[in-house]
Amino acid sequence: MVIDTLQLSGIIPLETSCNFSRIIRGGCPGYSRKPYWRGTTLSVAQPHPRASRAGAWRGAFMNMLPRFLLRWSRFLLLIGMSVVLAACSNSPGNTYDPHGDNARRIYELLIPIWWMALGVFVVVEGLLIYAIWRFRRRSDSSATPAQVHGNIQVEILWTIAPAIIVLVITVLTFRTQAANSVIPEDALRIKAIGHQWWFEFQYPDAGADGKPIVTASDLYIPVGRPVTVVLESQDVIHNFWVPKLAGKTYMIPGKTNYLSFTAEQPGIYRAVCAEFCGEAHALMRFRVIAVDEAEFNRWLAQQKTPPPTPAGTLTVNGLTGDAARGQAIFLDARKQCIACHAVEGTNARGQIGPNLTYYGSRQTIAAGVLPYSPENLDRWLREAPKLKPGNLMSRVLTPQWIRQNLSDQEIADLVAYLDSMKVSVTLPPER
Amino acid sequence: MSESSMTRPRAAAVHHTSLGVDNRKLGVWAFIGSETLFFATLITTYFVFAPVNRMRPDFQDPRKFLDIELTTVLASILLASSLTMVLALSAIKRGDRRWFTTWLLATVGLGLAFIGGQAYEFNHLYHEGLTLSSSLFGTTFFVLTGFHGTHVAIGVIWLLSVFFKVRAYPDSPENPMDVEIAGLYWHFVDLVWVAIFVLVYLI
Amino acid sequence: MAIAERPAETVSLPRVNVRPGWAGWLSTTDHKRIGIMYLVSAFVFFLIGGIEALLMRIQLGTPDNTFLTPDVYNQMFTMHGTTMIFLGLMPLNVGLGNYMVPLMIGARDMAFPRLNALSIWLFIFGGLMLYVSFFVGGAPNVGWFAYAPLTQKQFSPTAGVDYWIVGIGLTGVASIAGALNFIVTILNMRAPGMTLNRMPLFVWMQLIVAFILIFAFPVLTVATIQLLFDRHFGTRFFLPNLGGDAVLWQHLFWFFGHPEVYILILPTMGIISEVLPTFSRKPIFGYAFVAYSGVAIGFLGFLVWAHHMFAVGLGPLANAFFGAASFLIAVPTGVKIFNWLATMWQGSLNLTTSMLYAISFIGMFVIGGISGITLASPPINVQQTDSYYVVAHMHYVLFGGAIQGIFAGIFYWFPKMTGRMLDERLGKWQFWLMLISFNLTFFPMHLSGNAGMPRRIYTYEADMGWGLWNLISTIGSLLLAVAFLIFLWNVLTSLRRGPIAPADPWDGATLEWAVSSPPPVYNFAVTPRVRSRRPLWDEKYPHLVNGSHEAPTARPRSPLHDGFEREIPAVMEPIHLPSPTYAPLIVSVGITILGFGIIYLGDFGLIAASAMLVGLLIMAAGIFSWVRISHIDSPHHAHHGV
Repeated sequence: MVIDTLQLSGIIPLETSCNFSRIIRGGCPGYSRKPYWRGTTLSVAQPHPRASRAGAWRGAFMNMLPRFLLRWSRFLLLIGMSVVLAACSNSPGNTYDPHGDNARRIYELLIPIWWMALGVFVVVEGLLIYAIWRFRRRSDSSATPAQVHGNIQVEILWTIAPAIIVLVITVLTFRTQAANSVIPEDALRIKAIGHQWWFEFQYPDAGADGKPIVTASDLYIPVGRPVTVVLESQDVIHNFWVPKLAGKTYMIPGKTNYLSFTAEQPGIYRAVCAEFCGEAHALMRFRVIAVDEAEFNRWLAQQKTPPPTPAGTLTVNGLTGDAARGQAIFLDARKQCIACHAVEGTNARGQIGPNLTYYGSRQTIAAGVLPYSPENLDRWLREAPKLKPGNLMSRVLTPQWIRQNLSDQEIADLVAYLDSMKVSVTLPPER
Repeated sequence: MSESSMTRPRAAAVHHTSLGVDNRKLGVWAFIGSETLFFATLITTYFVFAPVNRMRPDFQDPRKFLDIELTTVLASILLASSLTMVLALSAIKRGDRRWFTTWLLATVGLGLAFIGGQAYEFNHLYHEGLTLSSSLFGTTFFVLTGFHGTHVAIGVIWLLSVFFKVRAYPDSPENPMDVEIAGLYWHFVDLVWVAIFVLVYLI
Repeated sequence: MAIAERPAETVSLPRVNVRPGWAGWLSTTDHKRIGIMYLVSAFVFFLIGGIEALLMRIQLGTPDNTFLTPDVYNQMFTMHGTTMIFLGLMPLNVGLGNYMVPLMIGARDMAFPRLNALSIWLFIFGGLMLYVSFFVGGAPNVGWFAYAPLTQKQFSPTAGVDYWIVGIGLTGVASIAGALNFIVTILNMRAPGMTLNRMPLFVWMQLIVAFILIFAFPVLTVATIQLLFDRHFGTRFFLPNLGGDAVLWQHLFWFFGHPEVYILILPTMGIISEVLPTFSRKPIFGYAFVAYSGVAIGFLGFLVWAHHMFAVGLGPLANAFFGAASFLIAVPTGVKIFNWLATMWQGSLNLTTSMLYAISFIGMFVIGGISGITLASPPINVQQTDSYYVVAHMHYVLFGGAIQGIFAGIFYWFPKMTGRMLDERLGKWQFWLMLISFNLTFFPMHLSGNAGMPRRIYTYEADMGWGLWNLISTIGSLLLAVAFLIFLWNVLTSLRRGPIAPADPWDGATLEWAVSSPPPVYNFAVTPRVRSRRPLWDEKYPHLVNGSHEAPTARPRSPLHDGFEREIPAVMEPIHLPSPTYAPLIVSVGITILGFGIIYLGDFGLIAASAMLVGLLIMAAGIFSWVRISHIDSPHHAHHGV
């Protein structure tokens, strides 16, 4: 009956190759693309062979089930199935779609546990529903059922049964845990520092004169090579999470944590801070950009050299900004930029905010608040307090301060300057 | 419901309890169980931070600050007060009001002496530069011993209230039990001091 | 049933001194009145917590929504969590326990009636204190878990955190006092013959919870005191830049926090262990296993706190230990579930609203238990923790479990408490609407969590693919609100027009059904004698006694009153009830003022100190009157004096 209803309402195709494990893996592409029923001849709904018994079934449940439920059952099924449908759509944070070894091992551990869990679920809920149906009080007969107080054998049985399941899960868990807590010696070490509310990344010894390369919000890593992220925090506790690559690890002030993983496919992966860290916690995001080793080395080499002297112009919202002028404004202490920000090769050495070297190649603005574009950068400079409440820059760049200290032209120049600093790197697809 | 006070049938037997233990006594035992966790947490915190304190630039060495002689005296004061408490209880049990008064007030006096000694110690340490915020040692030490001192103070108030209650209602048959449960608490506070003395001052 | 009336001929019943109207409630020491005060005030707080949840759901209904500002949103989830746990679920359980435990064990009151009154007043004032914060600079906005160092003054400058500390502190003192009361009452005030192994399972679970509580809460108290000192008096327990330890807070908090989960769920497991047998017309299956698996859960609950901290980096060994210990809890939990199923098996199920809630408890709790298994596995946990999967898991346990269990209890005992029946038709509407909307609200959270949605975010991007889940959740939560409105309507109308409840509407087996509905102030005119786990069934169905597991020791004909006539001289105690008094109320007012003083001691020293002095004086006055009334009230005084 359920299947009939769904097929008639076009929710599920008549023949389907999408089985349960594919659904939970998020890999049923056929579902969402095209409504199946268009141009398909539907079979005529046959009366269900057991339809005649449905009346009796209903009667039996009448004393506990309000009528509306039965009337709405079709509607409820629609909702239920649309949920399953949507499960097939892939999310950029889908943990069931691993692209890194750490996340993949977790996923592979989850699958057998899932089946065991499903077994337990079906058994318990099945027994429960059967018991309701079978042992509900019929009529008003006051016959008292047999007064059974217990049975030692079955108690032992259902103490041991869950214990065995749990034992199996424990063994599986320990195996995965052992694999996932290895920190390879030869891994690429990258330091990640949490700030309220953005991520700083440092590549130790990679910069000029053995200094680290410092960047923010975009974490470039090579594909196929283990990476160990050394996790620290500047202020409160943050949590480093790239769902498709690895599980979470806290960034704790006063403590250093390590997380090792290998990206298995190139891609731009969404990542977030997963521990509540204050007002703009929701807006503390970053991207992991996994590129092949050669591309990664090219990126490193470019980062090593400071950005060239800015030149050129850029038109944003009708105003043409000049990059060279923009740099002068940026470096002007009265304009406050360098109080917090640094750009390699210039006098800008602020340590409080993100390092802006090669800012023009960032994927996002303000730790994932806006996708990067000159227009959005312009907007960010004007509307920081509104776009990311509580952020440190908005305490300086209040609307009033901007009115007094930054003309529209100057903002356009700044945008032109920041946008002029670009590295050339072939970006992988978004995952 | 009637406004008048309730009628009270004559009591034929002593108050019945399932375990045969007085309710309040059982309650105080459970309370002491709870308090044990309170102090265990404070002492654990002290020990978690002891090695961290040693590694820090603002390290303050407990050995340099803590005066073992003074606190040995304080410990013996508190131990003696446990003895006088036992004597007070035995006095009230045999109905000896005069000795009960003596021993209970002696216990109160010893408790006050302990609090005074601790106040002197804190004052002394503060002048030597050990404060709540001077180091991890200061932070953990003052909070731990301060809360113990607070418990001693509460104990003194409890003992005094028992004392005045017995004075006000000398014939109440509940008096021995009142004294006994106050004593239980007092012994516990005393025992906590022994733990603190050994773990913080001696080790 | 005429059981309650019969002995009246032989015992002179007390006329009780109860003040009329509001004064009666303010000065009461009656466990039943205090129980009702707990239930009503906790339900009010619960509704407020629900409104906070609705506001959050509206904000999250669509991506990039701007209904709430981030700061207000953060206050909402902090207050929602704190409210539901400390001011909602816990006191609802305490309320039911307060009312029912003395009745179920055949006692006339709690062991310490005045301490009981102190608990309710401290709880109410603690809750109000938390909510005062909204009007004095903003509610706490650091999450109910209040992770350091976000709670430090430099990151959270408003007094919200201070109100949180003191509010939690007051309710904590109330809880510990309440737990001591339960422990002594249950251990010491059982009716003759009510051995530990004959106690109703609800009483068993309340006893276990009371023990968990007295050992778990002091740890939270110490942690919050240390935090308070950090914020105001210059210490550095949780300040990493000065050598403090942010992870220590987590250890202390979860050492309390995990047992707290069992504090919330075990009493409701007790409730359904009463409801299922009653409406199956069978005894509970495997009584000892159900009781002692509760003990096992309570004990193991203290060994698993770090499973909240698998992503903290405690090291593989620690994680493995805590993971394995957490898995172990599945065993006693499974035992309970199977015993409940076996209780229903071959019974004669009367599907009342209460029974439906109890059954649904099993069904939903199983889902919460299963999602708990994946969370207990350290590798899987690091993907799921701090995501909406946890929100789903926790609500299946605490809503699908605890709340549904509490509703089972309320529908079960409402007639006993009020003397009126709740409307069953409305009850079933409420049940089905709640079951559906609950699943609609919380099931999608499993999916959004696995799709990478972190917790405690006030907004999310449309292209993350979480929009549909959140929309469904929001719709579900609005329907859920309707279910609660139906319940509220049901209660309000039934109180006035509901059918009069008989003493024993469900054909119950435990002692509370032996007295009238509502019970007389003194509960039992004559202390009942108990000879089995089902004293009232032994009375009503003597022919079943022989078939019972536990052979009766004496004449099976009328065990409840067996030997009554003969044993009068020995058994008869005077009916002795505590007098009403304002002392506990006065003491709590004093403590609350003291609490206000502590919050402002760091910033406004002199004013705060004088407020604290006033608080202390009020407290002293309260204690003075307390000692006096307790002396006047003592049974010995009653005997010798007057």
